[in-house]
Amino acid sequence: MANTNNAGAEALRRLKEVDPPSLLAPNPTLSETARAASQYLFSSIRPFSQKCPLDQLLVDGYDAEQIWHQIDLQTQPLLSTLRRRVNQFVKNPDEIAQLKVPSSVAKKVEAKNHEEWEQESDDFDEELDEDDDDEDDFEGVEKEEKNGGSDGEEEDDDDDDDEEGSEDEDEDEEGEKEKGKGKDSGIEDKFLKINELNEYLEKEENNYENAEEADDGDEDSEEDDELEKAGEFEMDEDDEDDDEEEDEDDEEEEEGMENARYDDFFVGKKEKSSKRKDQLVEESEDSGDEDDMESNKQVCVCVCVYVCVCMIVKIFILKIKFSYPVFLYSFMQKKRTASTHEKQLEKIQSEIELMEKANVEPKTWSMQGEVTAANRPVDSLLAVNLDFEHNVRPTPVITEEFTASIEEMIQKRIIEGLFNDVQRAPRLPSKAPREVKELDDNKSKKGLAEMYEQEYVQKIDPTSAPLSSKDKLKNEASMLFKRLCLKLDALSHFSFAPKPVIEDMSFQTNVPALAMEEIAPVAVSDAAMLAPEEVFDGKGDVKEEAELTQAERKRRRANKKRKFKADAVKRSEKKARSEKKEDNAIPGQVNG
Amino acid sequence: MQSNEASSSMDVDTVSSKAKVLPPKPKFKPLKPHEMASGQVQFRKVSVPPHRYTPLHKLWMEFYTPIYEQMKIDIRMNKRGRKVELKTRPDTPDISNLQKCADFVHAFMLGFDVIDAIAILRLDELYVESFEIKDVKTLRGDHLSRAIGRLSGKGGKTKFTIENATKTRIVIADTKIHILGSFANIKVARDSLCYLIMGSPAGKVYSKLRAITSRMAERF
Repeated sequence: MANTNNAGAEALRRLKEVDPPSLLAPNPTLSETARAASQYLFSSIRPFSQKCPLDQLLVDGYDAEQIWHQIDLQTQPLLSTLRRRVNQFVKNPDEIAQLKVPSSVAKKVEAKNHEEWEQESDDFDEELDEDDDDEDDFEGVEKEEKNGGSDGEEEDDDDDDDEEGSEDEDEDEEGEKEKGKGKDSGIEDKFLKINELNEYLEKEENNYENAEEADDGDEDSEEDDELEKAGEFEMDEDDEDDDEEEDEDDEEEEEGMENARYDDFFVGKKEKSSKRKDQLVEESEDSGDEDDMESNKQVCVCVCVYVCVCMIVKIFILKIKFSYPVFLYSFMQKKRTASTHEKQLEKIQSEIELMEKANVEPKTWSMQGEVTAANRPVDSLLAVNLDFEHNVRPTPVITEEFTASIEEMIQKRIIEGLFNDVQRAPRLPSKAPREVKELDDNKSKKGLAEMYEQEYVQKIDPTSAPLSSKDKLKNEASMLFKRLCLKLDALSHFSFAPKPVIEDMSFQTNVPALAMEEIAPVAVSDAAMLAPEEVFDGKGDVKEEAELTQAERKRRRANKKRKFKADAVKRSEKKARSEKKEDNAIPGQVNG
Repeated sequence: MQSNEASSSMDVDTVSSKAKVLPPKPKFKPLKPHEMASGQVQFRKVSVPPHRYTPLHKLWMEFYTPIYEQMKIDIRMNKRGRKVELKTRPDTPDISNLQKCADFVHAFMLGFDVIDAIAILRLDELYVESFEIKDVKTLRGDHLSRAIGRLSGKGGKTKFTIENATKTRIVIADTKIHILGSFANIKVARDSLCYLIMGSPAGKVYSKLRAITSRMAERF
């Protein structure tokens, strides 16, 4: 163990002493030393990390990323425990004094500026597999410093001062930009002193200028600084605010404002180890949000050292090319935590990329024009909402209201009698109506000869047309009507002014007496009846023949004879006279 | 014939020589009807079916008068032979009279009335057409009876309708049908009767008749 520890420490030392330019080129020996150093750091921190499943860092044949993951495994739980401890210290600042802190190394580290940490952070690769190693390193350093027996209090003070200084810087910048500049009384605190702030600012500016001037020359120192910074940056376990350091630059100030907390400024200590590296590595801004100030100076100092070593190692393994301007640029850039504007830009950029990609690719089948079934996937139409014209009116939904409306209409129509009956259009007679010869189904009274005769006559002499059926019917109708009228008049008792009776010789019939006694005489009146004397004109006692006695019979016969005889004589005389006249006449005629 | 011979002989004579004096052209009077068929008297004999014997007996004078007086044809009834015999007289004006009289008597024997049959005497172009129901459609038993009934109609209505419409006279004697009339009219009547035999209802036949007769009437 001791040998390995020594070997590991030696490896670390060697790494430290390494010439930064040599890091630019890939060097297997350096890689080996770096690995050994990381292993040493890992094993040195191992006793502090209880939850870690690995006993030692497996390096042989492992990838940089795999080594990093192992380190990560160890440090993650460790970070949380440290955070808790820091919180405790925040609540009870008295405990801090009880802790031992290695002084020399811490001071040195803290003397190195924060600015450079911030500047170089972004440039480092995300794969920091030596972070844990750095941490281990730091722990190791811590132990060494502890062994060195540093004065905790002094270091605490120093650290506090340093932290104050850093805080002052941060606050100063923030104060410059956002808080009132003239309000010294308001700003100045037991922590914040304007004078110190100004000094720090000047220092920073000088450093910046120096950095710009001497790129290569200052590389080593800068590299170291950067390494340290990077190492510091990558210390998650220290729960330090990288945000404050970032805020030193204009661009990062805003972000620092977002993430700044009271604890960052007014709760002692806290070297803000650079979270940048961790952020880069983890690609998360949470690493930057270290709210809790670690009051443990020891840890801070160790962390700084560890971070530096880690940086070195990482550089060896990852073969990063350093250049200050690049670092500066990366420092300028928003590391992990980008501003809103940049976030928007990124978003837009991603959208643009997406759209360009879509445009370049061939279109989906639904966006092409006419697509037959062969050009689209099976059953793809089911997924697409097609829109096409329906030339058919949708079937009406039969509801109660619908039927009620129909029935209402029907009722109304029935009441009005307004049926849309089709009326036959009156056809104008184009020609005279043909006389339809009706079929007579009676036996014809005329003989066949007569029929043909008539036909012939009609043909020869059209005028001698026989009475057409029309006239016949007319006559018949008129006859019928006359008879009807007569009957109707009789019913009405002839109560009308009769025609004047024309006195002419007409026989008076003797209407039977029975007819006269009827209440409603039909067509006869009393006046028409014969008078009795007209009926019989006789004298004496009129006797029937049956009543006559023999004597009277004889008497009648005798009378009759006498009359007959008398008539006979008269007739003969007449004849004689007429004969005489004729005899006389003829000669008369002959003569005349 | 004789005239032709005469003419040919005359031609021959003229061609042969001019020296001979030709005899005067013979002048022949037209032949009298009874001289035709080489001057022999022509007869016609029409047998009398038993069912027409009594009506003939009743209506003999109506027979006799027009035939003897107007057609100048001798007519006698052979009772024993049940035949009516017709003979030309010397003063028969036209040889066709005999045939007409024979047709007239024959029509009466078929069943036509005298007044209808008389038309044959008066008009030239009247004919009698006879056919049987079985000529149109073979019917048996009830169907035959029904067909006969269809032809006559109720109380003879249909028959009279056809007669009146077509100016013909129809006699339906059991399965035999006789039609008397002019040629065209006979055709129409025959068609109507055939439709009835084949089964169309009377109304349909009436409508057809109506159409045909109106068309025929329009022609004049």
